[in-house]
Amino acid sequence: MQETTFLILTALAGGSRHGYGIIIDVEEISTGRVRLRAGTLYTALDRLQSDGLVEPDREEIVDNRLRRYYRLTATGARRLAEEAERLRSNAHAATSRLDLNGGVAAT
Amino acid sequence: MNGTLERRYRRLLHLYPKAFRREHEEEILAVLMASAAKAQTRPRLVETFNLLIHALLWRARHTSIPNPSRGGVMNFKWADENAAGIDKRIPAFEYRHPRLFCVLLTCTGAWFVILTAILYGYGVGGWWGAVLMPAAAVTLFFAYRLRVIAGKS
Repeated sequence: MQETTFLILTALAGGSRHGYGIIIDVEEISTGRVRLRAGTLYTALDRLQSDGLVEPDREEIVDNRLRRYYRLTATGARRLAEEAERLRSNAHAATSRLDLNGGVAAT
Repeated sequence: MNGTLERRYRRLLHLYPKAFRREHEEEILAVLMASAAKAQTRPRLVETFNLLIHALLWRARHTSIPNPSRGGVMNFKWADENAAGIDKRIPAFEYRHPRLFCVLLTCTGAWFVILTAILYGYGVGGWWGAVLMPAAAVTLFFAYRLRVIAGKS
């Protein structure tokens, strides 16, 4: 799973979000490292909808602007949980080996 | 001032096919306007490239080109017929004018390559190569695909 996909699904795991809300949330989750552009976001959302991982939730008009909210589907939540578990397992393996070597790679 | 920026963004969104705009134009425009700085009147260069590349990707994802093995019959159809608001009868604009777009895309791709060479030649390329070279690759790839169609039509 690409990092962008993971971050979008993580943002939606906190509840339904509209496009700009997802961008802000992704930036916050990645501690400012990832700033999604509108084109990137909608290409990703289109692919995630086709894969059945996210779906439109509701629409609102705020300041004469359309806000369409997206939410995670059950399949999306399951895929995100699997990916989070995979990353956790990899991170655990890396940190435990670094601890064994005192944080210095053997030469 | 915001009206000017909005009008320019709307013009940029014409890079996307009609089906996409019918479904997402207002929504994506809201995101673009919310992301813009207060005094901004022109779309940022990086935003423009991002929209250009993703519009091409969207077209590639949702449009299938004629299969030459089907006796050369022009058979346009949308790849994902379940996508909301997609008119299955109308192929993307560039597939209806393959010769014109083949030339346009080849020139655009060549210009991206030349621009990259100029920027690096003057030592001001920086990260632009990472944007311009994929853009050149995508446009030249589309030009190649359209050349196949142009040869059949």
